[in-house]
Amino acid sequence: MSAASPSTHQPSSVRSQDRPASDRSVAGAAEVPAVRVEALSKNYRHPWTMRVTPGLTDVSFELRPGEIFGYLGPNGAGKTTTLKILSGLLQPTGGRAWIFGRDIRHVESRRPLGFLPEQPYFYDHLNGPEYLEMVARLSGLGGREARAAAVHWLGRVGLGEHARLDLRKYSKGMLQRLGLAAALVHAPRLLILDEPMSGLDPFGRRDVRDLILEQRERGVTVMLSSHILPDVETLCDRVAVVLKGRLERIALVGELVQGGTPRIELRIAGQPPPDWPPSLAGAVRLAASGVDGVLTLHEPAKLQLLLAWLVERRVEVRSVTPMRTSLEELFMAAAEDAAFHATPLRRSA
Amino acid sequence: MNALLIAHNTFREAVRDRVLAGLVAGGLALIALTRLGSALAMGEDLRLTVDLGLSSVSLLGLLVILLVGTSLVTKEIERRTIFNLLSRPLPRPVYLVGKWAGLSAALVVVASALGATLAILVTALGHPGHAPAIAQATYLAILELSLLTSLAVLFSALSTPVLSALYTLGFFLAGQWVDDLRRFAAALPDPLRATLAFTADMLPNLALFNMRSLAAGGESTSALHLGLATGYAVVYCGCVLALASAAFESRDFK
Repeated sequence: MSAASPSTHQPSSVRSQDRPASDRSVAGAAEVPAVRVEALSKNYRHPWTMRVTPGLTDVSFELRPGEIFGYLGPNGAGKTTTLKILSGLLQPTGGRAWIFGRDIRHVESRRPLGFLPEQPYFYDHLNGPEYLEMVARLSGLGGREARAAAVHWLGRVGLGEHARLDLRKYSKGMLQRLGLAAALVHAPRLLILDEPMSGLDPFGRRDVRDLILEQRERGVTVMLSSHILPDVETLCDRVAVVLKGRLERIALVGELVQGGTPRIELRIAGQPPPDWPPSLAGAVRLAASGVDGVLTLHEPAKLQLLLAWLVERRVEVRSVTPMRTSLEELFMAAAEDAAFHATPLRRSA
Repeated sequence: MNALLIAHNTFREAVRDRVLAGLVAGGLALIALTRLGSALAMGEDLRLTVDLGLSSVSLLGLLVILLVGTSLVTKEIERRTIFNLLSRPLPRPVYLVGKWAGLSAALVVVASALGATLAILVTALGHPGHAPAIAQATYLAILELSLLTSLAVLFSALSTPVLSALYTLGFFLAGQWVDDLRRFAAALPDPLRATLAFTADMLPNLALFNMRSLAAGGESTSALHLGLATGYAVVYCGCVLALASAAFESRDFK
């Protein structure tokens, strides 16, 4: 978890009725959540047919100060809707949310927020420092401070050499880096990143991962949505899975992956003999990988038995690797499970 | 403060746009061309030059509003540049006021450049006495353009660029004939008269900003006229921007 905790100072101008009920009862005693979302809903109404489509239904969660929180879900699940409500771009149909104890309906709730939208776009006619200085000043930095921060962050995201280049000449990856710099330029206490790895090459992804971890070291709370699940697994303390606008699951990443079924992968030279003993039948699955055979053992307790059998048959064992369930597999399982329960046809089948 | 930042960015965007540079060049060419028509003016060449020159200030300003102003907010929504602004502690009304102020500032520069060119031309022709009247007429044209910009911002915040351009053009044309509409309403039976009179009150009275005929004759207008026109423009812009803010406040950005 976090190495440092950010200040939880709450502005005195926050009126008591603007705080969530649980905060009021322990005002001053408990740590104020970085984000609190209570029964948040968003319906979209078609302008002509007036047909209502639910985008988000009754979502509640809390972000602890200093944690990195992954927000996962397939396309159209409601991830971006949640992030846009928190950043003031969408109005919720129901429910409420607070950022560091301040109701998101107040524009000042966005002062400690750094937001990276999905596929960020910028003004063609500006260059990097001009843009960063403008957004830093909009977030409350003074002129000189904003200029210094703009130059610093442009260099920090690897765009320092392109300071004089107009933004219309930036590549997709450069725009993504600039978006990150814009989200960070005013030293926010909360970062909301919508697909921060989108459009980046492997080097860019590594830089962004390092940047996010560096922010956590500073005590910044990070909420990110991503389709690149290995990155989420590496970065996040907790993840929430949202499917069809509903929050399906929320847990520590460690709990999720350790809760999965363990298995062991054995790499052997050539193909194994076909006469499997009855005690291993059903516990081992064979897959070919080039000249090697790959055996997946789904019952780790039978490892000794399998190794003894392979040695007896003079099969060369090249590697034995304990495997844990990846977040990707768990995510797919959760999605399939939700689809199964939500579809009457499949349920009856 | 934040309104100034948005205004500065909008101004910078407008002046770095080639469209604006092209229109200013076109305006300067138009003023120069008025001299070619002077041969046909039968002794009224100075009047023709001033009248056409001042008309070009208004019309080119209108063209800037139709080409740039009516997509001022829509373009930001479509290109999603607005996401990075409104996710900061920036109230939406402040954003709209900033957009309006930025484009108005660009129009001040355009109108002033064209007005100054006209004044220099007229002075060079040996009529320096016309310069104050041209300055006053240019000032009133700037007020008129600022008012139209506020309408463009309102429509741009609520509609598509094409519809915004049509609405703004419609208000510009209707605004020229507000006094005629009021006179016409007076001759009608009551329910219709009240409706038309109300419509005339709601439309911008753009005739208030037109002193081209006076300036063409070298006559200045009164300080009272200038004060009234300024007050009217301030109040009308304020009302339109308040309306735009109210409508924009609850808008979703998907």
